[in-house]
Amino acid sequence: MAVAQAKLGKESDDCSLLPLVHDIIKCMDKDSPDVHQELAKLKTKIQEAREQISNMPGIESSPPEQQQQLATLREQVRTKNQLLQKYKSLCMFDAPKAS
Amino acid sequence: MAALAEKSTKERLLSVLDDLEVLSRELIEMLALSRSQKLPQPGEDTQILELLVQRDKEFQELMAVAQQQGKVHQEMQLLEKEVEKRDRDIQQLQKQLKEAEHILATAVYQAKEKLKSIDKARKGSISSEEIIKYAHRISASNAVCAPLNWVPGDPRRPYPTDLEMRSGLLGHMANLPTNGVNGHLPGDALAAGRLPDVLTPHYPWQSSDVSVGMLPPHHSNDFSLEPPGHNKENEDDVEAMSTDSSSSSSDSD
Repeated sequence: MAVAQAKLGKESDDCSLLPLVHDIIKCMDKDSPDVHQELAKLKTKIQEAREQISNMPGIESSPPEQQQQLATLREQVRTKNQLLQKYKSLCMFDAPKAS
Repeated sequence: MAALAEKSTKERLLSVLDDLEVLSRELIEMLALSRSQKLPQPGEDTQILELLVQRDKEFQELMAVAQQQGKVHQEMQLLEKEVEKRDRDIQQLQKQLKEAEHILATAVYQAKEKLKSIDKARKGSISSEEIIKYAHRISASNAVCAPLNWVPGDPRRPYPTDLEMRSGLLGHMANLPTNGVNGHLPGDALAAGRLPDVLTPHYPWQSSDVSVGMLPPHHSNDFSLEPPGHNKENEDDVEAMSTDSSSSSSDSD
């Protein structure tokens, strides 16, 4: 759990644009010729973020909608399991006892 | 309605990313302008910076939510596969139940038909004594096998002969209107259904104890027919008379 949260924190920091903006401002303060390079990096990072968002699965709906869909699917599986169990265990042809 | 109007996580992420791009560009342009013009901005850059930080934080939170949604999406895909499998099982079961229903319907229909036949047979039941009586009567007319003392030349046949038909009810009914027209004695006698003694054939096998048509068969013999002076059409019809030891007629004794 702690490892997962640490990984999640690292991934969130990876998608932050502030470090790049900070580098650009630092280059501007120093009048460094690398400012254009840093600007290009920022542009590339934004573009990559857009592509990553487009490819991420499961974000076509909001979290509440997704939870509702999940609940519906679970209910479907439960109902169908119940139905199958009912018909498989149902014996329609009880032989009449000899009187 | 609020749930329907709620934006998807993807839309929100793209929106926040656009805001970040705009804010970062504005900040950089503002800083570049202030440095080139050497004019201090009245805290506007601070506002933009604060907005940028806020948007960046929002972006990171949304990315975390998107990752969680990705995991939920994987679970949903597994559940969808489960649902598909259950659907296939249900369809298979439905097919089997349909087949069983068809088989049972056929069996029930056939059973009902048989019950109808049984009911019909019960309604039209006949006593066994009556059936045996009729069987005995049929056998006694020598239709099943020849009488014991039948020899070639005997005019008796397993079917009613011409004379026998005329001496029966039909012969009487047919000849009633023509009574008196035909004056021949044999014709009248024939019409009346009585054979004159002159015309009655006498054969060695005939005895007073034997009544024609009442002898039950006992022997199995093959006879060839060549009766002298007998009706030729009967000769054509019957070439052999056989007796069958396995005849179904019952023993009258």
